[in-house]
This record gives sequence, structure tokens and C-alpha cells, in this order.
Amino acid sequence: MTFWPQAFEIARVDLIVERRIGDTLRIVLPFAVVALMVFPLALGLQLSTIRDIGFGVFWALGILFGMQVALRQSAADTPERRDLQALLGVDAAARFVGRTLSGSVLMGGFLLILALAMLALYAPRLPTGVWPVLVVSTLLLGIGLTELGTLAGEVTTGLRARTSLASLIVAPLALPLIIGASQSVEALEQDTGILPWVLLLVTSDLALAVAGVALARPLEEATR
Amino acid sequence: MDPIVDFRSIGVSLGGHPVLRGVNLTLAPGEVLGVSGPNGSGKTTLIRTIATLTSIDSGSGTVLGTDLTSTSLVPTRRKIGMIGHHPALIPELTLTENLTHAARLAGIEVTRVANALGVVGLEGASDRRADACSFGMRRRVEIAHLLLTRPTLLLLDEAASGLDSSARDLISAMVDSTRSRGGGTVVVSHDESQLRGIAENVMSLSGGRLEPSR
Amino acid sequence: MTRTRLLMGTAGLSVAIGLWFALTAPPDVLQGEYSRLINIHVPSMWLAFLAFGVTALGSIMWLVRKKERWDRLAAASVEVGVIFTGIGLFTGMVWGQAVWGAPWDWQDPRLMSTAVMFFVYLGYLALRNALDDPVVRARRSAILGAIAVVQVPLVYFSVNLFRTLHQTQSIRPDGSTMPDEMVIAMLINVAAFTVLYVALMVTRLAVSRLEAQARPEGVFAGDAVRPPRLSEVEDV
Repeated sequence: MTFWPQAFEIARVDLIVERRIGDTLRIVLPFAVVALMVFPLALGLQLSTIRDIGFGVFWALGILFGMQVALRQSAADTPERRDLQALLGVDAAARFVGRTLSGSVLMGGFLLILALAMLALYAPRLPTGVWPVLVVSTLLLGIGLTELGTLAGEVTTGLRARTSLASLIVAPLALPLIIGASQSVEALEQDTGILPWVLLLVTSDLALAVAGVALARPLEEATR
Repeated sequence: MDPIVDFRSIGVSLGGHPVLRGVNLTLAPGEVLGVSGPNGSGKTTLIRTIATLTSIDSGSGTVLGTDLTSTSLVPTRRKIGMIGHHPALIPELTLTENLTHAARLAGIEVTRVANALGVVGLEGASDRRADACSFGMRRRVEIAHLLLTRPTLLLLDEAASGLDSSARDLISAMVDSTRSRGGGTVVVSHDESQLRGIAENVMSLSGGRLEPSR
Repeated sequence: MTRTRLLMGTAGLSVAIGLWFALTAPPDVLQGEYSRLINIHVPSMWLAFLAFGVTALGSIMWLVRKKERWDRLAAASVEVGVIFTGIGLFTGMVWGQAVWGAPWDWQDPRLMSTAVMFFVYLGYLALRNALDDPVVRARRSAILGAIAVVQVPLVYFSVNLFRTLHQTQSIRPDGSTMPDEMVIAMLINVAAFTVLYVALMVTRLAVSRLEAQARPEGVFAGDAVRPPRLSEVEDV
């Protein structure tokens, strides 16, 4: 089986497993929505302020909870399954791409539903043309976060503190993604160009994709 | 004919501790080699090294004609089949789905999956999730997988433990099939008497070295 | 060891000279005595980026060559780097509070990049600490180092872009200039800190080599397991 069929097969099975377990939609997403509700209560904000911070809180929680979504795949990998995939001749880079594909789909769904929850709870002022920008930025953020999460998950696989350690690695390196996504919407409000921010997201995603593919084989050796 | 496995003075360390040292091993086509040793002697490490899944620290060797230090081991790995300590199934998939997934990744016709499950006696449980199956059933799925892939080099690491007699017969049949195709088999077990019943040559691991068994 | 002592002595002397210049140069008119902090802050920040660059080099070279010395280089640079990164961030915050009235400038790309590097370094050290197998530790650390090489420049670029498009929110005072003597003192301290970095690295690498040599030959796996004492089963 060649590269892309292997990648798609890995992505397909990942999504089937997620559909059957439902961790992302049944556990992580409700937890993130609860966190959305905690902020205004904890800060004792006025309604007008709540409206102003809506998008910011969404991006912050999207990153923090999105990391848990991104890390869950590599958590399910056992050493035996890795060995089996190696003996089946699965290209390490195809596995990375497959994981990124399935993770991006999940992440995109997670973030978009979280965005809808934020819009309902915070009722932010919506600038003209926000929907396509919000969808594109959210999806690009999801892809980048999945790539970072996959890489961090692989580097920390088998360690007892892997969730915390992987999160520590992902969070600071996700800064370009947070800035790109948040500023793309703010650029609409300020009526400045969104292109630099979208390009920043695309560049970050591409750079991480190249790093992931280039490091796939050393990563595969590092996790044995 | 070239040996299937040819190790010369192989040394392997794990976790900073040496596990194998100066291991010499030759596996000829059609041969079944048994390896015994007490717990913690490095049997699994040896199997994984033969499977090219663990890197060597010293020595040299080839598996199916490919150098162990080669950067392109994928074609060689496709000809290796291994049963390890724990079944490598995805718990949330059914037995059929697990086997189909493996077949697709290996580029094998998925139409053969149903027959393979039937041969190992699991046609009645093919739609059961792997996490709802017993250890023995999951082990049979692994055997079905090897029937599909027909490896040239078969590696069995305590494969018969926890299996009933019919499943053990299945493993013996698989070893015979590999032999008849000119392939080689390495069987690892702590039970030396079991090895003598299946292998022409039995060696034991002691102090990190492989020696003929007395 | 003689070479190490010589280097440490040179570094100590360099830092002392730099300190003398820092304390004797006239202070900035606007910043007052707080401007002297620049002689620690700027060299520390320079060192943070230098250390990160060396870590990145060591990581990539290990992935290519698989030689232990590159892993030792990368690890030593992280240890030294995290200290100077912390010093740079702390002195920057003290300086910022005194001069700008705020300890943190969200729009400073160098500051934000340095903060990201600091946490990546901490993650790097935590990762190494959690792994016992030297080869696995070297490999995974190198991969993390290589990932950081890709992302940290993007962090710098993204914050720079953020500042470029939010110029009205800058909190920097306009028209701040340092006297030439202070600039010279700062450059001398940058050079002194560089010598200090080299000295610390050489010392740390020497210690790493000694640690590797002193590592006891591990017990063979089989030797750790003995046959059970069956005759004593009833006596337990």
C-alpha cells in the first residue's frame, strides 16, 4: 500500500474508534463549555465586558482543551500496535499524516461547536464577514494544533506525566497559531487586512507538517 | 542459499543496561530455531532485534539479506511476521475490522479476511469487538493475520502461552507452513520441552549470550 | 581541568570588567540608574538566543550523526540557557516596571520569543529527566529541539507582525537614547557573557563526559533474575 492510501486508512480507523468511544464530543467538549461559563462568573464581569472577551476566551480555551483532543490519539497507541504497523510496512510519515488528518477533522468539529457555544453564551458583536473568517481560522488553528499535539504526544509517549509534559511543550509553541487565529477576527473588527494572519496560520501549519514528515522516522525509532 | 538471519557478535542495550552481547545466530531457510531462557534473560529483546524493531549497539547482521543498520528496512519488515506477548488489536474494532485494517495497510486483498477468520475458528465471533474477546480469541486473530501475510520469517514470542490445545495446533500448523515455503521460524519460550517438540535446534540465553542448549 | 579553570578565570575577569564599565558609565537621562540593568538584561537575552541556537544545532546534528557528543552539547546548552533566559526575563521585567510602568510588553517579539523558549527549555529538561534510556533520551530531546527550531522563529515573526499592526498600543517611551559610554559598556558585557557561556559550557561538557565514564556497567538482564529458593517457600 502506498503513502496516501496508508494515511487515509489510518485516519479512517482513528475516526471510527473516536465515533465508538466518543471522548472528544462526550467529555472534552462539555468540559470546555463549562469552562466557557466559568470565566464570566469568576471575573464578575458586566454584560458589555463579557461580549468583548468572547472571542478571546474562545481562542484560549480552544488551545487549552484542543491540546487534550490532539493528545488523545497517541495515548491510545500501544507498543504492540506500533510494532505491528512497522511490520506491515506502514510509512512513519504516512502515520503522521493520517493522524493529522483524523485529528484535524475532530479538532475542527470540536472547535466549531465550541465557537457556537461561545457565540450563544457571550453574544459578541459580530463584524461583517466574520463567518468565513472564523471557520477558516478555526480549521487552520485545528490543523496546526493537531500537528503539534501529535508531535508532542509521540515525544512523550510512555511517560507517566505525558499529558502534562506534552501540554507544556504544545502551549508555548502554539503561540503563532493563537495570534494568527485571534487576530484574523480582530482584523475584521478593526477593518485591517486578514491576509497576514491567515498566511501566518498557513505558514505555521505547513512548517509543522514538514517538520512532522521529516521527523517521522526518528520519532518512530524514539518511541520504541 | 543465503541465511534468513545472520547475526555476528550482536550487542544490544536497553534503558542503559546491556541485554545481549556477542550474540551469534544463523537461521537457514526451512529451519525452526528455539530459544529458551529464564525470565529477564533478553529473549524478547532478541526477537525484536531479529524483527529489526530494536537497534543494535555493536556487531553486524542481516535479516532476509538486509543489513540491520540499513535505513530502508520497510521492504524487509513486510516479510516478517511476529506474535508478541500482548495481542496488537485495536480494542474498539471488531475482529473482522481489525484484520481488514491490517490487510489494507499491508496491501492484501480484504476478501481473504473472512476465510482467514474461518480457518482459525473465529467465523462466529467475527463481528465481536476485540475488547469483548478473550485473550485466546485475540491471539487466534493474530494467527489469522499471519495466515494472510504469509511471512518469510516467523517470530513467535511465548506465542502458545494462554492458548488451548487446538490453538497450539494452529501455531504448529503455521510453523510447518512457513517451513514448507522455505521460510524460517524463531520460537521463544521459557518452556524448553515445548521447544524441543517444534524446533530442530534449541539454544538458550544466559548472561546475554546465546549458547546451544544442553 | 586546567583548561576549564583557565576559562572560568577568564570568564570571571571578563564579567568583572564588564561590571566595572556598567557601574562607571553615565546613566541614561530618562531611565536613570535603572539603565544599568541593561548590562545584565541584554547580554542575558543574547545568551538565551545563542544557547537556543547551539541546542538546535546539537539536536539536528544528533539526528544526522547519532553521536553522543551532540546530545551532550544540546543538553548542556539548555541547562546554561535556561538560567540566562530566566535572568534575562526577570531583569527585563524589573526594568520594564521601573521604566515603562509595566513589567511585561506583550508586543515585544524578542521578549515573547524568549518566554516561549524558556518554557520549551523547561519542557526539554523535564523530558530528559523522565527518560532513563540514554539513546531514547537523546533521540526524543533532539526531536523536541528540532521542532522548536521550526516554531520559535514563527513565534518571533507572529509577535512582530502583531506589533506592526498594533502600533498605537505600544508602551515604549519615545526618544529614549543611551549615552555612547553605556552602549560600549553593554557591548563589553555582551562579550563578557559570551565568554562566560563558553566557560560554563566547557565545564558542563567536561562534567558530562566524566558522568558518562563513571556510569557503571549495567547488570545483564538475565543476571538480575536468580532461580527461586523452592525449599524456603513454606518459611516465608
